Amino acid sequence: MSRDQHRAAGVRSGTPFAARSAVELRRVTRVFGSGNAGVAALDDVSLSCPTGSWTAIMGPSGSGKSTLLHCAAGLDRVTRGQVLLAGNDITAAPDDVLTALRRHTIGFVFQGFNLIGSLTAEQNVAFPAKLAGARVSRDEVRRVLAGVGLADRARHRPRELSGGQQQRVALARAMLSRPAVLFADEPTGALDSGSARTVLELLRTMVTAAGQSVVMVTHDPAVAARADAVVFLADGRIVDRVDAPTVRDVAERLARWEG
Amino acid sequence: MFLMSFGTFRERWELFVGAILSVAVGAALVQASTLVLVATGSPRIPPGLSRKAEDGVREGFVGAATVMGMTAFLAVFLAVFVVGSTFAFTVAQRRRDLALLRLTGGSRGQVRVLLLSESLLLGVVGSAVGVPLGVVAKYAHTRLLVGIGLLPEGFHAPWRLWAVVVAAVVGVGVALAGVFTASLRAARIRPLEALRETGAAARVMTASRWLVGLSFAACTIAMVVWARGANLIGAMMAALGISLCGAVAMSLLSPLVVPFTAWLCGVLAPTGTLVGLAVAELRDGVRRSAATASPLIVLVSLLLGLAGTFGSLAAAGGEEAQRSVDAQLVVDSTGEEAERLAGVEGVAVASRQNAVDVTITVETTRGGRVTTRDYYAGIVAVDAVDYARTHVVTPSFGSLEALTGDAVITGPARHADRIEAGRVLAVDAGGRSSRLTVVGGLPETLETGDSFLVPRRALPREVWAGAPTETVVRVAPGQDPDVVAERIGRAGFDRVRTVADWAVARAETAQDGNVKILTVLMGLAGLYALMAVVNAVVVAGTERRRAFAVARVTGLTRAQVVRTAVVEAVAVAVVGVGCGCVVAGAGLIGIGGAVRRAIGVTVVAVPWTLLVVVALGSVVVVAVTSAITAVVATRRPPVSLVAARE
Repeated sequence: MSRDQHRAAGVRSGTPFAARSAVELRRVTRVFGSGNAGVAALDDVSLSCPTGSWTAIMGPSGSGKSTLLHCAAGLDRVTRGQVLLAGNDITAAPDDVLTALRRHTIGFVFQGFNLIGSLTAEQNVAFPAKLAGARVSRDEVRRVLAGVGLADRARHRPRELSGGQQQRVALARAMLSRPAVLFADEPTGALDSGSARTVLELLRTMVTAAGQSVVMVTHDPAVAARADAVVFLADGRIVDRVDAPTVRDVAERLARWEG
Repeated sequence: MFLMSFGTFRERWELFVGAILSVAVGAALVQASTLVLVATGSPRIPPGLSRKAEDGVREGFVGAATVMGMTAFLAVFLAVFVVGSTFAFTVAQRRRDLALLRLTGGSRGQVRVLLLSESLLLGVVGSAVGVPLGVVAKYAHTRLLVGIGLLPEGFHAPWRLWAVVVAAVVGVGVALAGVFTASLRAARIRPLEALRETGAAARVMTASRWLVGLSFAACTIAMVVWARGANLIGAMMAALGISLCGAVAMSLLSPLVVPFTAWLCGVLAPTGTLVGLAVAELRDGVRRSAATASPLIVLVSLLLGLAGTFGSLAAAGGEEAQRSVDAQLVVDSTGEEAERLAGVEGVAVASRQNAVDVTITVETTRGGRVTTRDYYAGIVAVDAVDYARTHVVTPSFGSLEALTGDAVITGPARHADRIEAGRVLAVDAGGRSSRLTVVGGLPETLETGDSFLVPRRALPREVWAGAPTETVVRVAPGQDPDVVAERIGRAGFDRVRTVADWAVARAETAQDGNVKILTVLMGLAGLYALMAVVNAVVVAGTERRRAFAVARVTGLTRAQVVRTAVVEAVAVAVVGVGCGCVVAGAGLIGIGGAVRRAIGVTVVAVPWTLLVVVALGSVVVVAVTSAITAVVATRRPPVSLVAARE
């Protein structure tokens, strides 16, 4: 299913047309543990990330950044509330629906790269599409790899690549299926500043040129400042939001919430 | 998907070597056993043998068929077990990879397909290796069976094309059966686990593991209880069942024992820093420990369980034989020589028992059809009065005193045939035909025993004069048996034994066949367990390269890392041997009860020597393998591994 079809599906199933929101969380609470010992990692969080935008999520350790990302991506179930992804209500979606979403609608990039060690760079890039049963031409894979500057690394295995190169392979993998939403958890966390810059530029291209949405967790104000909006989380609640941020804006607010 | 299977296969071949080998050996053994089994189905009896010898050869063929059948069964069981535990382990080791597969859009079905196609690949490779290995195994089987005397010299099992099909079906079937549970488990892995370093899913004792483990344990206990009330054949079958079932139960539940062992290690060596680290590793890597321990559990429970069972039966047979005789000495000679024994000073009664070469024909009518069977072996000529005075035996029907004239008593070996009193049996003694009437029957014994007792006077002298004869001698009151034995020796008899010695020797002969079969099976089980243990240790060590590197960066020397790994591995080996002993012990409880029911006393033979050999052997193998693996895994400088990420 293409991204448009997914949206159409959202309309047909009667959910409000969510073309403006790639990701929407409605009063989401996620409690770990049960009873009195339960800890709310997310506490009544509502958030909307518009289509074709880049949203950064910041906050101190343990503020619920990663949990928010996992819930938004359908990797973790919410305790209360509602999660909409590209117009589909995924709050209680069964595994096969979530699998289909992962194949067509969303992509992931993480600090730990998460490439399959036994496959070459180009096999890694083509892999999700193959899982989905789609035919992928080698030319297209090469084109995407060239787009992230790795045309000459197609036959290398992850362990033969540097961290920055591995992250670019992961990006190429996420770009091949043109997902509506790309979820990124500290995508530059393990990279040197040069590689980090390349990766951030690629993310920006995805947002502006291809109209894709990016939801990114980071703790680096310089990285967050590249986003269109920054959301601050503390103790499982959204405490602040800055649109079109500068590094300085971000750093100041971060200092306030971490202090 | 298949490409990925192939990729994983190539990438992580060391995970699969052990599994491939066990599939290959399984396929080879089943192939070879079936070929030999089929060949024993049409026994070629070498020409020019006596009827007794022909019977012996035929019995040997049946024995060989039994061994081959058991071998095939055991090979399949062990191969499924080893492949199963290998895959369970690899799924645990590859949790992150499999979660990543789910994260990038793989469905549950695709994860299952991935593992199943991996195991298919493994099965195909294993079978391919197994076919030529099977030819070797066939020769080995044949030579072994000829060597231990079950098959005649010159026996040959022809190779047939269908053996390839057998090997392929077994190889692939075993691989798929082994991976089945692991694939279900893998499909339950959540995509989120790809994002966590260790994963919260490190829980080893899952609900299904508890359930299956406890059901197998319950089955084992039920079999022990049942065996205690069963007859001996039943108890023997139960002993095999207890060994297999108990081994599965123990390996599933062994993670529960690991923390206890860790605690014990801590108590025994409280101050050692390295031991402390090993203990922590042991606690942390419960799954890894369990994977190493389970083949050891199978090994120990099978070896000790079976050896203990057969040993106990032999001991009980000897005990029973000794109790059945009310005399002090047993003398071997010919029938003619034995005539003189009654005249030796100090001999009160000499009951001569001639193993005569006569044929007794029994006709049976079953469903209107008459079948006849000739017996050549186990026919003993006795003098009823002497026999009754030297033996403590109550016939199950009729009486010993009636054994005069044209009469016959059925022996323990024919008890199950239910030949009633009053039946007339045709006897052919040295070409002279006669007819004897059944006047009684002896009860069944642990040993097979004799088939028929006939009165010596009913037979012509030349039939019993040259027959091998055992004479049971009771010495006169007040006489020292040793002195009488000496006198008998001086009278020209060179084989004089006490009843105790005779009973032991008799039991050993009776168990000889079993011991041979057992030896073959034990060798097989040992080989398998060895492969599985080495595999588990190697896999565990290889996957821990990074942990080893971290330990070295933290300040341990390479030697210390290796030593820690060895300490941990030895502790695991002890867990495996201990759990196996518990299973073997359960088997002995069962057989002890059955023996008590049969002969009134509990006779249990604990195979101490074997226990020590197996325990030391296991510990040494595990220690050496883990040391080698740790040395290899720490070959690269630690920094390169700590820094490297994929």
